[in-house]
Amino acid sequence: MCKIGKFFLKLLGILFAANAALFVVFFFDLDGKLLFNVVEPFLKKHYDNMERKDVLQEAYDMDKFPKYKY
Amino acid sequence: MRDLKHLIYFENLLQEANNDLVKQAKAEGKRAIGYTCYFMPEVLLDLPGCFSVRLRAPRCVSPDLATYYLSGRVCHYARSLLERALEGGYNFLDAQMGTETCTATCRFQEHLQQKHLDSVEDMRIIDNDDFFCEFTDIPFKNTENSYQHYETQLRAHVLEPLHEHFGVDISDEALIKTIENHNEVCRLINEIGDYRKLDNPTITGYEFHVIQLVSLTCPKELILPYLRETAEEMKTREPDDRKNFRCKVVLAGSENDDPDFTKLIEGCGALVVCDRFCYGAVESRVPIVLEEGKSPLRCIAEHYLKTSNCPRFMPQDEMRARKKRLADLAKEYHADGVIIASNKFCEYWSYERVIDTFILKRDFGLPVCSIEKEYINSASGQLRTRFQAFVESVEIKHIQEGK
Amino acid sequence: MAKNIKKALKDFWYGKPHTAEEGGRRLGELYEDKTGLLKHREWRGFKDTMYYMYNIWGYNYVHMVTDILKYSKNPIDFFKGTWRYRWMGQTYLPVIHWFERGLQGMRGEALAASAWHYRAMVSASIHQICNFFNADTRLHGGKETEAYKHSFYANETTCGTLFYPWKDAGYQYIPMEMIPYFVTCHVNSHTVLNYIDAVQSIGLPGDPCPMCQAESGLFVLDDVPDSAPFIITCNEACDASVSTHTLQDWFADKPLFALPLPMQFDDPLVKKYCMNEIEECWKFIEEQTGVPFDWECMKKYLERQNKLQRDEWEKWEVASKTDYYPINGVAQALFRIYSTQYGIQGTFWEEASEKVKKIMYKCVEKKINPFPQTRHRVIAWSCAPLYYSNWCTWAYNCWGLNVIINMDSLMFDMEIRTDSYEHMLEDVAQYHMWAPMRRMAVGGMHHIFELWEYMEKFNCDMVAMYDQLQCKGMQGVHGLFEDEFRKRNIKAFWMPHALPDCRTVSRAEIRRQINDYMTTVMHEEPLDPSLLDFDDSMTW
Repeated sequence: MCKIGKFFLKLLGILFAANAALFVVFFFDLDGKLLFNVVEPFLKKHYDNMERKDVLQEAYDMDKFPKYKY
Repeated sequence: MRDLKHLIYFENLLQEANNDLVKQAKAEGKRAIGYTCYFMPEVLLDLPGCFSVRLRAPRCVSPDLATYYLSGRVCHYARSLLERALEGGYNFLDAQMGTETCTATCRFQEHLQQKHLDSVEDMRIIDNDDFFCEFTDIPFKNTENSYQHYETQLRAHVLEPLHEHFGVDISDEALIKTIENHNEVCRLINEIGDYRKLDNPTITGYEFHVIQLVSLTCPKELILPYLRETAEEMKTREPDDRKNFRCKVVLAGSENDDPDFTKLIEGCGALVVCDRFCYGAVESRVPIVLEEGKSPLRCIAEHYLKTSNCPRFMPQDEMRARKKRLADLAKEYHADGVIIASNKFCEYWSYERVIDTFILKRDFGLPVCSIEKEYINSASGQLRTRFQAFVESVEIKHIQEGK
Repeated sequence: MAKNIKKALKDFWYGKPHTAEEGGRRLGELYEDKTGLLKHREWRGFKDTMYYMYNIWGYNYVHMVTDILKYSKNPIDFFKGTWRYRWMGQTYLPVIHWFERGLQGMRGEALAASAWHYRAMVSASIHQICNFFNADTRLHGGKETEAYKHSFYANETTCGTLFYPWKDAGYQYIPMEMIPYFVTCHVNSHTVLNYIDAVQSIGLPGDPCPMCQAESGLFVLDDVPDSAPFIITCNEACDASVSTHTLQDWFADKPLFALPLPMQFDDPLVKKYCMNEIEECWKFIEEQTGVPFDWECMKKYLERQNKLQRDEWEKWEVASKTDYYPINGVAQALFRIYSTQYGIQGTFWEEASEKVKKIMYKCVEKKINPFPQTRHRVIAWSCAPLYYSNWCTWAYNCWGLNVIINMDSLMFDMEIRTDSYEHMLEDVAQYHMWAPMRRMAVGGMHHIFELWEYMEKFNCDMVAMYDQLQCKGMQGVHGLFEDEFRKRNIKAFWMPHALPDCRTVSRAEIRRQINDYMTTVMHEEPLDPSLLDFDDSMTW
């Protein structure tokens, strides 16, 4: 078999393997499981621990903005 | 203090929507026009031949039927009104002037409309052949466009229907005369209310609340002599030697037509010196000024939009300014703090209360007691505890300030 | 043996049949307990499984990346935003599961057409997210970038149509809460709970509309990007909506224009007022941006919007008169509300609509019934539970309840004339007054009782009556609906819920209510009994 033929066979093999792997991820909802069990808890922890501005300290100026009338 | 001569009479008038003075006016052939909201100008409903009745449902603690219709998850006030209507308590009404200004009272009024739906028609809630219910669209701003719109709406949905149905005179002359009568009521109420500004006030918040309510729920012409007499009586009324309160407060918040609530606050030592809530006098008893070059109706439209402090007003400057106006009232009435009371399920005041609670305290240094209440306050024990704690905190603040 | 092999081959090729009598696919058994994750995805037959894997699952994962590259000025901002904002990180990644929940059990044309609606919504969402992050000063070291200066915020219920005149001048309107609140509820119902709790923590009672609570809570948790120099708000749809702006104004502290719409919109006298208010709003935008109103630009986008509206009418025509409408209930409802609310901001709506129409006409020509197990044609009325918008998919799979149309889809139901400025303004006013949660819920209770007309128009024999427990307007007509249902002998079931808050009424409770109705009132047997009762309390 010529080199090109081997290359295409190899390529087909890789594509098939990639598709098979993708199918396993898809069919067994591995993406969902990863997101639910690992990514989301990690992000939640990050957001929970994030330092946030205390908005109640925001100024509330009575005259800061004009009356918008036209 | 000496008892006010007409207080018990006034209290009795508040026991029923269809009270003695309403019955008397009806017997004289006048038309009773119901309404619920400040934005329905009472002055228009007091034109010759008719009179305004701001609806209340006193002593309604268990609105079971209304809860079927409105569910238990809307405000108790709207449910109580519907319950009272279903019981026949508003059959004396000849018309209801509706506003879609808050959802719950709007739904109550829509139930009275007797059109659109078979079931509503069947219900015939107001058992009166002449009865009709008309809605007016109320603007959310106080701009030129809003004034024009409001004026157009009041003409189309208040004046013209009153004329068409009951032959009411809606001429400018009739309006001017009615404004004069209205202003007299305002003048008397303000005169009586101003005694709350004294260092040792000669009128309690409860008494004033009762007087203000009778002025909203009774025909003006019939209640006026009593108001005049009370105003006279107030001139010579002496306060008790010792102050019988521990602090003074402004009471602000949503719908409140329950003088017993004011009494409850005062029973805890806080004298209510200013009433900035729906049914209160702060806005509703500002006299209407007739301006040259403007029709009386236009003056009325501008008046009600300019004087309102309702949290449904949306312009940014207005949202902010009404906090300051509340703080100014506390200053004007020499109040030591503010009680903000929102009715359960009242969305406007739920939000407004949150902001008022922070801003009045932080930016104006006013102690604030923030509470949620029912239309009829059966859970008074809990509220009493809250008010007592608030009064104590105000006293401690005074001690710390060396007052 | 041979029979078994034949059946296995048939199942492999076509997927298992729907009903229990035919051997059943038992979709409920695919779920892991509580999480709602799938033990494995459904085998829909060879063709549909491959279609789902490549054309939906794979295609959308790829497009989630390419859309970012397309709409983002700098893709790094996207990652910075994901790290900064909870609604972003928690919501973006489970998007494919959102598809999964909405498309479960769908086959053939129903699967393909419904997925196109989802695809457009995802694309529009990424468009909005990129607009947020392109302009957000927080992601740019406090700098007011050109994108910031060319953006303006509007409350999510202010319809995008109003802002077309500034589009060609490079100004982008961003609905302030549509992604952070509305979309998150559909995709990941966990996120919004943080915002509801946040606003209650500063003293707001638990009873106002939870949508408005969440919209305020976003600000309380300081989780709204700083992406625009000014804000436009409106009074849609309720008291709490109006009040929400008082809190938002405090925390955003930017120039804010209030655009109130009349409540009594049947009254011809209100139109002039409404038109003036809209013109004032436009003047405010001109003042803030320094860019004048562009009539040609307005006209151009309105014409595209009108075309989209006509497409929708074509779809409704098929939905109402035939059994060949290929869109499921949730895809119909969400596409309509997303597209009308956001307006023409890209080409995603139009592209999806064309694709769906093609599939739909194929169904009509070939007489393909995409929902062959339909037992009842259902109209869903009032506002839907956002955390369980895919209940319609479940209801079809379990009971054969096919939701044909819903109340929210029927809002904005008009074309806007573009032959003159005056006509346009008049129609835009009407259009905005007919906005979601407004067209039926305000201006007189007769609007909400238009249900009967729409039931007839869409040939429906059953009503799914949403019961948003904290919506005062809808609670206020509860008893009359009961009376009317009885009087008219209409088959209707109530679905209690709390809009975004799945803690108040769980999904399982919603299903139980429907199950009870279908068994005790309708005396029917489920198509797929495995879906009757399962625990998905922790699901997205």
